[in-house]
Amino acid sequence: MDWIFLGELTINGALTGLLYSLVAIGLVLIYKSSAVPNLAQGALTMMGAYVVLAFSHNLGWSLWISIPLAVVIMFFVGMGIERVALRRLAGRPIVMILMMTMGLDIFLRGTTLAIWGGTSRSMNLGVSYNPFFVGDMLLSRIHMVGAAVAIALFIGFMVFFRTRMGIRLRAISDDYLASWSVGISVERGVGLSWGLASIVAVATGVIWGEVQGVDQSLSILLLKGLTVAVLGGLDSIFGAIVAGIILGVLESVGSFYLDPIVGGGSRDLIVAGVLILTVMIRPHGLFGRHDIERI
Amino acid sequence: MAQNETRQDDMILSLNSIEVLYDSVLLAIKGVSIEVPRGGMIALLGSNGAGKSTTLKAISGLLKSERGKVSRGEIRFDGNLIGDFSPQDRVAMGICHVIEGRRVFEHLTPDENLDAAAPMSMSRSEMASEKERMYEYFPRLAERKSSQSGYLSGGEQQMLAIARALMTQPRLLMLDEPSLGLAPFLVTEIFGIIQRINKEEGLSVLLVEQNAIAALEIVSHGYLIENGRVVMHDTAEDLKKNSDIQEFYLGGGEGKNFHDIKHYSRRKRWLS
Repeated sequence: MDWIFLGELTINGALTGLLYSLVAIGLVLIYKSSAVPNLAQGALTMMGAYVVLAFSHNLGWSLWISIPLAVVIMFFVGMGIERVALRRLAGRPIVMILMMTMGLDIFLRGTTLAIWGGTSRSMNLGVSYNPFFVGDMLLSRIHMVGAAVAIALFIGFMVFFRTRMGIRLRAISDDYLASWSVGISVERGVGLSWGLASIVAVATGVIWGEVQGVDQSLSILLLKGLTVAVLGGLDSIFGAIVAGIILGVLESVGSFYLDPIVGGGSRDLIVAGVLILTVMIRPHGLFGRHDIERI
Repeated sequence: MAQNETRQDDMILSLNSIEVLYDSVLLAIKGVSIEVPRGGMIALLGSNGAGKSTTLKAISGLLKSERGKVSRGEIRFDGNLIGDFSPQDRVAMGICHVIEGRRVFEHLTPDENLDAAAPMSMSRSEMASEKERMYEYFPRLAERKSSQSGYLSGGEQQMLAIARALMTQPRLLMLDEPSLGLAPFLVTEIFGIIQRINKEEGLSVLLVEQNAIAALEIVSHGYLIENGRVVMHDTAEDLKKNSDIQEFYLGGGEGKNFHDIKHYSRRKRWLS
């Protein structure tokens, strides 16, 4: 048994898992403040990456200007989605809202494909591709940066949900009608959550764009993000972090042992298995609130 | 005319021949007129489906979430027409509606429930002292302020729903069936607290109840609604004495047998 290699697999798996957590945090943010599972989070992530590229590559601006600009733009895109697509659906059955987010996903993928085409572009963050050595283990630097971003966002949002605004968002997610009855602007709260999730999408898009290039495949991150969010509990940011690490390690270590047996492709199988088993055995996830299956 | 205006000034809320349409076809309320005097306590009585909750939602603006709208008549709060205002605006003006079925924010603690309802304009220190005031009115909530609200008992949840509404600093509090599903001693306790707040702070109260016995003990006047219409309006004392009310809502009457009562209720309607 090669312990160093196993350790490397585990740590790199955990780091990759934290990158999945980034997608999951966006999902959780919207769920936690409006009880909507946002199936467009993957497409938003891709769009975030493309908007950054539009400034940094097409206009040639520095990433330090492009990223904040993209954050501002995407915040308003998120708010705009609530205003245009979701406001009229407030209080309607969750299935209709779910279908709307799916429609948004297709729409955003189509739009980005029409504007930027299908060829893969690179992000060029300037993070070295040379591995980072911990003892004899080789770790990926960009994954470490991404994991740090995920932890930072996690801490930031934990604090945010204890503020007055954060408490109001949680109240909205609990009960729209009761929120209206005490003067909470449900519409503005949901809009804010979409804005924040779109900001997370920029961060996610930049990191993942650096990892695998910017193209349409970024939107498929939704599947990993959704699995992590469901495993952690759709309304738990802490769950998103823990579940990300679990899924990442399972995927990396599991596929190392399974791939030779099944002849490759076991990563997706593991992800699918985790999602299906979670829904079957523990529908509210590891740290989610207990009545999620009611919705 | 001048007399009429002074009368209007005494009223914090007045509904003038309100009609409510659901889905643009279903007429749920057919010309309801109600007045709540400043600092007064008024009850809206009636059986299930009579239109009591719809009337409250018309006042608080929550109708829009159910695809309902006020199609005729006017609602005045403090003399101003409020028909076009959003629910948030109405809360800011001082109307707060404690909706039916308690509906606390189950995953928040009672303390956070109160935080969520405090207006954003309220400073932190004000908010803290307001919460202290609520815990003084409802000592049971103070004991459980950090537990999850979903696990509170029915009575505690009702108290929390009322305290949460009071955090919005209303001048008119509308309560929809606060006694529903609660033990009689809890109803007495909660109504006692409402009465106390009414007396101490001059808060106007519009109480919707099926439990006419309990409601008529604390209000000054009552309206009886049937089939979307006000069919009776009188002082609480006279309503309690009214034989029709006694029979239908207070469980009194002259000991007719069940068959007679059913027959009677089919024949008679209060459509004056």
